[in-house]
Amino acid sequence: MRFLGRTLVVLALAAVAAGFLCYRLNSAPALHAAVAKRDAMAWLQVDFHLTDRQLAEIKQAHEAYAPSCEEHCRMIKEATVALDALAATRGSNPAQVAAAERTLQELRTTCETAIAAHVRKVAGLMSPEDGRRYLALVLPKIADFDHQMAPGLDLKKGHH
Amino acid sequence: MAGVLSFAIIMNTSRDNLSEVLHGWRVAPPADPNFRHAVWHSIDEQTRVTWPIYLRAHPAAWTMAAVLAVSAAGYTGGALARAHVQADREAIVVTYLVDLDPRVQAVLKP
Repeated sequence: MRFLGRTLVVLALAAVAAGFLCYRLNSAPALHAAVAKRDAMAWLQVDFHLTDRQLAEIKQAHEAYAPSCEEHCRMIKEATVALDALAATRGSNPAQVAAAERTLQELRTTCETAIAAHVRKVAGLMSPEDGRRYLALVLPKIADFDHQMAPGLDLKKGHH
Repeated sequence: MAGVLSFAIIMNTSRDNLSEVLHGWRVAPPADPNFRHAVWHSIDEQTRVTWPIYLRAHPAAWTMAAVLAVSAAGYTGGALARAHVQADREAIVVTYLVDLDPRVQAVLKP
């Protein structure tokens, strides 16, 4: 009986060691560190094996895209405010509300197209394999953003 | 020693005296205070089962148990790590896209 207990203890220790080893082998400490710091650029560099030069080019591309992002943001916000105002007005013309909705939707579509073009440009700065993986991860989420707000995003928090 | 000497005496004794010699033959070995302990020790040695002997008695069962336990734990550890990586990746990609997506920023910005 004592040998049974001893053997089971040794088996349990071996199992714990194997589990821990496999966890460490499959883990990505650099990715976890980037996520803990909420550093998206560090994540890009780690997860998509970017060289310093590639990272600098991607940062440059993001900076170049930022003004058009700001502009889209402003236009969508204005269109949303206009639509909300029309919707809140009693006896507002349904044709006007529909036109405002169309304008907002067109802006959102333009915005989505612009983001997709931007991320394709970013993917082009990566190695082909990493670029494909990046697009496979990012493009579906960009499409999802239009139908629902970013999953897990706390909209009560401030931004920028 | 006493036994051996007595046997020599018997062998050199005539048949007529044999029964008399045998009758008077007494073996008186010296007392061994360790005798009882030695006997039990000998019995214990023969019946003792060591851990390797115990394991070797059921090789297939223990080998299978070891392979199953280590494989299951290894798989679980790997799966947990991959799930952790995937969850972190999903979280950071949202953070990343929020910075890029004016549609989200239009909602977030005051």
